[in-house]
Amino acid sequence: MTKAVRRFLPVVVIAAAVVFPFMAGPYPLAVAQSVLISMALAVSWDMLLRSGQISFGIAGFFGIGAYGAALTTLKLSASPIISILLAGACSAAVAFMLGFVILRLRKVYFAITTLALAEIFQVIIHNWGDFTGGPEGIVLPSLIFNGDARSLYWLALASVLLACALSALFQRSRLRFALTAVRNNEVSARSSGIAIFSYLMIAFVTTSFLQGIIGGIHVQIYGYASPDSVFDANYTLLPLAMALLGGTYSTPGPVLGAVLLGVASEYLKLKIPYGHLVVYGIIIVLVILLLPAGLYGQYRKRVKARAAHA
Amino acid sequence: MPDLQTFALTKRFGGLLAVNNVSFSLGRGEILGVIGPNGAGKTTFINLVSGVYAPSSGRIHFKGRDITNLAAHKRARAGLARTFQIIHPLENLNVVENVMPGFLFTRRSSLKEARKSAEALCGSLGLGGLDRDVSEITMLETKKLEIAHALANDPSVLFLDEVMAGLNVDETTEVVRLVQSVAREKNIGVGVVEHVMSVIRDLTHRVIVLEAGEIIAAGPYEEVAKNPRVIAAYLGGAA
Amino acid sequence: MRVVVTRSIARPGRTWQPVLLIALTVIGTAAISVWKPTALVYGVQRAGLYAAVAIPMALILGIVHIVNLAHGELMMVAAYLSYFAARLLGLDPFVSLVPVAVVMAIFGLLVYLLTVKHALKAPELNQLILTFGLAIALSQTVNLMFTSQSWKLSLGYVSASATVGDVSFGVFDFVYVAAAIALAAGLQLFLKRTRMGKAALAVGQNPRGAAIVGIDVGKTYAFVFALAVGLVGGVGSLFLAKQAIFPMVGGPYTMKSFCLVAMAGVGNIVGILYCSLALGLAESIIDGIRGYAGWSNMVFFVIIIATILVRSWRERKV
Repeated sequence: MTKAVRRFLPVVVIAAAVVFPFMAGPYPLAVAQSVLISMALAVSWDMLLRSGQISFGIAGFFGIGAYGAALTTLKLSASPIISILLAGACSAAVAFMLGFVILRLRKVYFAITTLALAEIFQVIIHNWGDFTGGPEGIVLPSLIFNGDARSLYWLALASVLLACALSALFQRSRLRFALTAVRNNEVSARSSGIAIFSYLMIAFVTTSFLQGIIGGIHVQIYGYASPDSVFDANYTLLPLAMALLGGTYSTPGPVLGAVLLGVASEYLKLKIPYGHLVVYGIIIVLVILLLPAGLYGQYRKRVKARAAHA
Repeated sequence: MPDLQTFALTKRFGGLLAVNNVSFSLGRGEILGVIGPNGAGKTTFINLVSGVYAPSSGRIHFKGRDITNLAAHKRARAGLARTFQIIHPLENLNVVENVMPGFLFTRRSSLKEARKSAEALCGSLGLGGLDRDVSEITMLETKKLEIAHALANDPSVLFLDEVMAGLNVDETTEVVRLVQSVAREKNIGVGVVEHVMSVIRDLTHRVIVLEAGEIIAAGPYEEVAKNPRVIAAYLGGAA
Repeated sequence: MRVVVTRSIARPGRTWQPVLLIALTVIGTAAISVWKPTALVYGVQRAGLYAAVAIPMALILGIVHIVNLAHGELMMVAAYLSYFAARLLGLDPFVSLVPVAVVMAIFGLLVYLLTVKHALKAPELNQLILTFGLAIALSQTVNLMFTSQSWKLSLGYVSASATVGDVSFGVFDFVYVAAAIALAAGLQLFLKRTRMGKAALAVGQNPRGAAIVGIDVGKTYAFVFALAVGLVGGVGSLFLAKQAIFPMVGGPYTMKSFCLVAMAGVGNIVGILYCSLALGLAESIIDGIRGYAGWSNMVFFVIIIATILVRSWRERKV
């Protein structure tokens, strides 16, 4: 792929994504909108992964964002857009406070802790009925943009663009070096003057902020949040599978994985209701065993190999 | 005053006394050899100085400042650098990008400056093919990369942990010359942990000998090499 | 049961931990016995179940050095097998326990040979994601095949109860306590007295060293993995006897098992018994506090985070 094509490809893709609602019927539009939400989450998961930390708690910050947006809309009469920003701020704040404590952890301990935290958030929201509406959840008075399908799609697209922009920022700044060094070997990273905790915190807060924004967008699109629905484990599972399949440690990878899996699972849903989730699990297993770098990662390896032997 | 000084530095791991009452100093422009049989505590000693381990007792002073409790990354930023025996290059980055971190984080350069400085540093060490993937470089280039990685911090004191391991005679000579010129030009104090005695003889101004965590001899290489206690430590048994 | 616990020998250097737990247990027990005696009984019973599920996970972690996030799901699969044995063949879970355990052991062996074995040299994070994927695949397959409806056997003997003073409580769940103790004791014997067990211990401590002295590390891994899955399969049978089963029932048990293993420390099987007591009692007490029953699920999660943090604080270097 030549450099010119490389430069234009994202522009073409984004343009196609923007005009998509004019060409698609209501069903593909709805599918696309939900795929975009998962895509944005997948990109956010990958961003933290680059620091070497696996999060199993995407649903946790997503859910906090959803409730943040819902509660600020209901109780503070915030406008939908403001509520989405506040949703991101909520998740970021929680991540910041928790980060001091949990960012000392590594590997499986961090991963399990994020999983546990997601559950804890759910239990708290579930039990704190007076404030959060309890197990029945909250209903928003109206949908953003009055539920216009195209606008909702563009809102979801906006979340993807935000995620990709932040991800690209991570890749083009010194963050890339810091996170890669930390992921590689922490002692060696320290010997280059990298303050590991600070960079982990930056990655953690940014990705949680992103997940909160996406949660806020989700609740504005659906107009409803309940502990079971927004803390659903699928909001962790799907993005993870998408990022793995598409290719980790990159921005295009999770995007690619989301498109592939999103489309494939819609198809599967028609053929075998509930079967698509089995496929996600199987895909995760197969990708980890056979193609750990994912499709895009594998492609990049080939390109490198070809360049080296040129 | 020498830039680096330790006072009665001691490290215990449970019941094991790895470094015992080590006091020494290293000034700019000096090249100090640190030798001793395997398990003598040489790498632990470097780990203590660079901040990987906290000492059980004793103090470390750097440029007149007590850094005993200073975090490792801050020591790097203060000008205390080191290489590692087992090298972990950053796999997703190419050669020059592997040298950039020190410039980015210790010297706080911008990305552009860091890249330029890294390229210049690699050039001065004779390291070419900067956009190659790190998995493709030779053993000698890996060693140079590791030294460059540490030099990127613009240190005043640098520890080289068995950097000659795995190099043949010619490569060793090249690295020895490199270290000499770097120490001279940048006025760096270098601590060299090595097993290859010819390197120690050619490279260092003076030597300290560790055995079971303690310094058992210190002085120029010729003296130390004749010290019966040193010989016994390496060969075992009574002198 | 407490007598057995106090007689167990604490590991050197860890004496404070069992002492602390014994003290907590004694205090807690005294408090509960006076205030809400049933909480004590149910706490112990819960502890038994948690420990019985956790011990096989500790086996895999200690020897194969993999955190098996599909652990609870494997128990769930076993429970479903037992369920069908009961419905289709009329076998009581206690009778189908051994066949189910054997089937699960074979299944575990297959899982190991097809997946885990190939990930042994991969980074730890990959292994984590692998078992996570397995967990999803298992629970969703069961969901697909049998829907998310929860099923239950109605066996007469599970509602057996006893009365002490003016307090009456169910006694069936002591089976779990017995199972936990049997597992702990049995594994200790196996690991320390049998040739296979000692080989397994060696492999767990130093795979390369073990290979050098002629132990077939690969076969040991396979055996241990299959054994652990078989054991948790047996527990799954017992689980079915009283509990309702549904595809997602295993998830919380994976988490709680990991919590216990993390608390007790790798290799400390007896520690799991202590820790499960503390946690089972804590959950039980909170369940008894009016208005806070929903929070008891959080106990484990809070404690796991606290444990992990304390552990990492202790191991901090500079």
